Amino acid sequence: MVDVAFQSGSAVSVAEQVDRAKVLQKLRLGDAAFRHLTRAAAVTVLVILSGIIFSLVYGAWPALQKFGFNFLIEESWNPVTEHFGAIAPIYGTIVTSLIAMLIAVPVGLFIALFLTELCPLWLRRPVGIAIELLAGIPSIIYGIWGLFVFAPFLQQHVQPFLIAAFGNVPVLSTLFEGPPYGIGILTAGLILAIMVLPFITSISRDVFEAVPPVLKEAAYGLGCTTWEVARYVVLPFTRVGVIGGVMLALGRALGETMAVTFVIGNAHRISGSILAPGTTISATIANEFTEAVGDLYTSSLIALGLILFVITFIVLAFARLMLMRLNARLGT
Amino acid sequence: MSTANFTVPTVTHAASNAGDLVEKVTVQNLDFYYGDHRALKDINVSLYHGKVTAFIGPSGCGKSTLLRVLNRMYDLYPHQRATGHVRLDNDDILAPSQDLNLLRAKVGMVFQKPTPFPMTIYENIAFGIRLYEKLPKSELDDRVKHALARAALWDEVKDKLGASGLSLSGGQQQRLCIARTVAVRPEVILFDEPCSALDPISTAKIEELIDELKEDYTIAIVTHNMQQAARVSDFTAFMYLGEMVEYGDTTRMFTTPTDRRTQDYITGRFG
Amino acid sequence: MAIMISGASSPLYASRRRKNGITMTLAYLATGFGLTWLALILGVLFWEGFSGLSLRVFTEMTPPPGAAGGLLNPIIGSLVMTFIAVLIGTPLGVLAGTYLAEYGRHDKLSTVVRFINDILLSAPSIVVGLFVYEIMVAQMGHFSGWAGSVALAVIVVPVVVRTTEDMLTLVPDTLREAAASIGLPRSLMIAKVAYRAARAGMITGVLLAIARISGETAPLLFTALNNQFWTNDMNAPVSSLPVVIFQFALSPYKDWQELAWTGALIITLAVLALSITARFLGGQSKKS
Repeated sequence: MVDVAFQSGSAVSVAEQVDRAKVLQKLRLGDAAFRHLTRAAAVTVLVILSGIIFSLVYGAWPALQKFGFNFLIEESWNPVTEHFGAIAPIYGTIVTSLIAMLIAVPVGLFIALFLTELCPLWLRRPVGIAIELLAGIPSIIYGIWGLFVFAPFLQQHVQPFLIAAFGNVPVLSTLFEGPPYGIGILTAGLILAIMVLPFITSISRDVFEAVPPVLKEAAYGLGCTTWEVARYVVLPFTRVGVIGGVMLALGRALGETMAVTFVIGNAHRISGSILAPGTTISATIANEFTEAVGDLYTSSLIALGLILFVITFIVLAFARLMLMRLNARLGT
Repeated sequence: MSTANFTVPTVTHAASNAGDLVEKVTVQNLDFYYGDHRALKDINVSLYHGKVTAFIGPSGCGKSTLLRVLNRMYDLYPHQRATGHVRLDNDDILAPSQDLNLLRAKVGMVFQKPTPFPMTIYENIAFGIRLYEKLPKSELDDRVKHALARAALWDEVKDKLGASGLSLSGGQQQRLCIARTVAVRPEVILFDEPCSALDPISTAKIEELIDELKEDYTIAIVTHNMQQAARVSDFTAFMYLGEMVEYGDTTRMFTTPTDRRTQDYITGRFG
Repeated sequence: MAIMISGASSPLYASRRRKNGITMTLAYLATGFGLTWLALILGVLFWEGFSGLSLRVFTEMTPPPGAAGGLLNPIIGSLVMTFIAVLIGTPLGVLAGTYLAEYGRHDKLSTVVRFINDILLSAPSIVVGLFVYEIMVAQMGHFSGWAGSVALAVIVVPVVVRTTEDMLTLVPDTLREAAASIGLPRSLMIAKVAYRAARAGMITGVLLAIARISGETAPLLFTALNNQFWTNDMNAPVSSLPVVIFQFALSPYKDWQELAWTGALIITLAVLALSITARFLGGQSKKS
């Protein structure tokens, strides 16, 4: 065939035309097959999500049926009497995450501000890389450090001081009441704060860097100080992005398991004191799932997982919508 | 436009003897470096109060760089430095001890692309004023109105001061930025190709505005457009490859340039 | 009306400068604060981990309490499960990412998949564990290495989808047009041109996914469970490094706690090495 083609110069012989048609036909089939394959893979992502939702609902059904709405508001968690309520872990999840955000958001934003506006150029990359690498460190590392180093430190040095300092102040005395256990809600919140700090820093740095330089120059051109540029131009401009980043970090904090499980104390009760041991949804599941005997116990734990998934789904969906809005704005 | 209510910014030199040129900004033996690259070579030029000075030249000739020296904007970036003498009145702009915030309040800048801040029209103006003065609400309102009027924008926006600055058209945004600059009461205003992103009608409005503003300010404008330079400026400086080739009265520059390169450029032979 | 622009001495300007000084100081402090904690964590980890590091760690099985031993079986278990997870998750992720970037860049399905994928990217991993428990462990009636691998694969997929799409989107359209102009069908263009152009970035994505799952504990707790001994049987419970760390750290035995630290160090070093390699590759792909 090749020889013929050479002999007849540029013209394509009849036999070759037939051949080409065959090849093209084959390619077209392959093309369609590949296209459908990729499409199927894309759909698989949706299947995974629906699989998660379906399997959780299915597994949680016995518990939800037995306890109904009360599951959400009751504190008792008793494997012996098989009476389960989720409010204590829900409370613990939310409070530890709040403590974490209360600390990590301002600190993270200030670090991002440092990285984008103040840091000398030669230091910018190393610090940036360090923060990104730290964001990748597995949460179990934070957990083991929290258990062996941070909790004893808090117990010996920080908590006695807090108890003494706020012991006679109304409201705060309740918040910091009881013996210094070391482990507990506060400790878990602080560990979470350290853990989500790199996330917040890295996302806010990225969105801060997306501010057009000329906009910042315009503000500097009016005589603004660095803080004024950050406060009145950079932050408003990137607001949705920052909110998105914060929500993303909140989603992580709410669902985080290992960093918390080590130091939360696994106590199914709600205490007014943040020094007291508590539990979170993920810590409860991690601690009890393999030891759960009886269908109702297992089902109640899966129901906890369902609640966690719903909460984080809402938070993460909101985060993504915010980040999409920022990207849409930058695109125009 | 009525300027009866408007206070002229303080000028240290008495500007009373009309006709005499009052030197406001003096640049002497200025060199500028981006890292090792020498972007400006031994520049000498003066800006006069009440006059518009245009800087023209092909892309990369250093005209924008020169402008960014005058308010030390280059300080925001590493590896950029200027040597020589630049004085605003008798104040050394390049001095390390120079207070950049105060300098930039005195030397305002309008950019190539409109840069409204992400806030309302009213806030865009009030923001700058509040940096320097603590005013009661009514007085602040007056000042905002006055600045917008000065930028010939008041009639167009007076009913939507609460709208976002970004909702305005490109030409309006640029005039908003001019109003914002004026509101801070600078002594010098730098225009860095203020019309290059605008349509002809908006351009004409901005040019008209520059003409009105020059009574009270010292104005420098960088432009690609030679007709624009000829229309708005009193003095023109032609720059080429980081050097100040020729500098002088605009009419003379465009009719009888002395340097060959200037002639080639203004007759459109290169650039 | 006052004429003067407030000078250096005006109280308003002084307060602005003071505010700026305070906030900028806070920015420095925040950075120092953040980096200090992170340095402390790494410092303690290296200190505690290195003291237990010896050849024995890599050659002996996990010991019963009070005896000496190593981490051989969990290390192998982690490697095998990670390998299988990547084997399942990568093709799936690459194909899905290909659809998002090449075929359905703007269609409705892609928009939805992209959104859901981004959520799965940060969804709590313990929920993934529950999901796989329900579909595999509960059905088969026992914990298994397969279940652990599948749980990890579910975490790999979104990471790979995301990076594949990002990297393919970076491939310039002119390259696609050039391929089309010589009559290359879409699928061949993607396989021969787009994948090649995006290769470094896609490998980066896989490395990041490996880094991500090599420290994952929660999804393994009730899928692969744990195993005190060596096993070749992926149908049986398989031990993994993170789960062993979890179990040993929470135990009252000193030897186990020391092994937990050593295991934590090994994981951290592995993750750091993977991230640094990924970053290096990613940096290269951006340059070319």
